Amino acid sequence: MASELIFREKQNSDLIDVAISGEVDIYTSQQLKDKLYSLIDQNDSDIRLDFKDLTYIDSTGLGILVGALKKAREKDRNIKISNLRGNIHKLFLITGLDKLFLIE
Amino acid sequence: MSVVKDDVELVLPFKAEYVSIARLASAGVANRVGFDIEVIEDIKVAVSEVCNKLISTGSQVASSYKITFRIGKGELDIIFDCPDKSLKCIFDEKNDELSLSIINALMDKVEFCSEKDFLLAMSKSIEEND
Repeated sequence: MASELIFREKQNSDLIDVAISGEVDIYTSQQLKDKLYSLIDQNDSDIRLDFKDLTYIDSTGLGILVGALKKAREKDRNIKISNLRGNIHKLFLITGLDKLFLIE
Repeated sequence: MSVVKDDVELVLPFKAEYVSIARLASAGVANRVGFDIEVIEDIKVAVSEVCNKLISTGSQVASSYKITFRIGKGELDIIFDCPDKSLKCIFDEKNDELSLSIINALMDKVEFCSEKDFLLAMSKSIEEND
């Protein structure tokens, strides 16, 4: 029952790949927010989030993703999401966020 | 003839770090009922959403809230309660849109504003084609 999210970043030419491992819930969500907002502030690239090892997220985390996307778009950048697990993809469909985010 | 159900109760502090325990308990109980893995994940999320709302609302008079998992044959009722009854009807359609859409989609029945003594109740049943 980890309480820390693990972020692995890789800077590509025009994209930052960020793999997130762990659970994003009310307790860990601030870590996600801090990381995303920091990446947006300090870089000029789009961000691609790899959710292969993300085992849990709820509306707390989804709300942070929406806020981060809004911040990125204010700077003409985008946030893409890849490797969504089935149960998490389901939440994006339920909330309509599959229409907001580019999901690979 | 009334059906006897088993209650599993969990009392948690109003602290974010313990919501994961609610998820673990939800998964254990849901597995006991016989739900498949996808539904177990759904129940975990729905329970967490309610816990999140209770914690973010907080209580000035109570230090903990209770989750009762009422286990029946092929069905699970989940009842949230707290001595602080001001925590009834705390979900707001405007501010909790994401959370409400998730809970309503994942659970079969939800009583957000119960007229009974508890705060909120939700239930899930194993579908006949599961």
